[in-house]
Amino acid sequence: MARPPFTNDIRTLRFLAGEMTQGDLGDRVGVTRQTIAAIEQGKYSPSLEVAFRIAHVFGKPLETVFQWDETGD
Amino acid sequence: MNFREKTAWLNVVAMLAAYSLYFGLLLAGHAAGREVFPMLWLFGSIAVAHAVIVIAGTVILSAQAPKSERARADERDRAIRRRGATTAYYVLLVGMMVVGVYMPFVESGAPLANAGLFAIVAAELVNSAVVLMSYRRGWHG
Repeated sequence: MARPPFTNDIRTLRFLAGEMTQGDLGDRVGVTRQTIAAIEQGKYSPSLEVAFRIAHVFGKPLETVFQWDETGD
Repeated sequence: MNFREKTAWLNVVAMLAAYSLYFGLLLAGHAAGREVFPMLWLFGSIAVAHAVIVIAGTVILSAQAPKSERARADERDRAIRRRGATTAYYVLLVGMMVVGVYMPFVESGAPLANAGLFAIVAAELVNSAVVLMSYRRGWHG
């Protein structure tokens, strides 16, 4: 499975947010823990809505959470 | 492995076991391959056994899974399900075309019904295989 042409800092942001668990983030965003794990590992590209919800949980702009990877495309 | 992946495995194993037995018996010369009533009895028995195994297995898996995993399917689960169903649709489409081509060459309905059943089972197995592969290797929707 090809990786998406963007990376994310969700793992780091969770750590900085008081070691928030994947399950906690999933509950706040409205997806399962497994889906958060898949997003972190680059195995699933979230919808725009879920991406915005994740950014909103951390109080960060979208581009701080997801970055376009110039080398990946 | 999450709850949805386990139920997909349960479906694959139960279907493989049930219909390997069914088509194995047909290949061994069971009357269900040629006559309608034996076919209905054999298929009915195997379909009921299959359903009981899947229902009992799902109940056991549900009881063992944490509540959060049993929650409603999210967008990734739905994307994976769509991928499996889309792929299986083409398998079923080709299977039904083959059944249509086969139709003029059979005298009774039993072989035709078995060919259709084989196409449905193959499509369902492909569906489950694609779902399992997507959970394991990832799918971007």
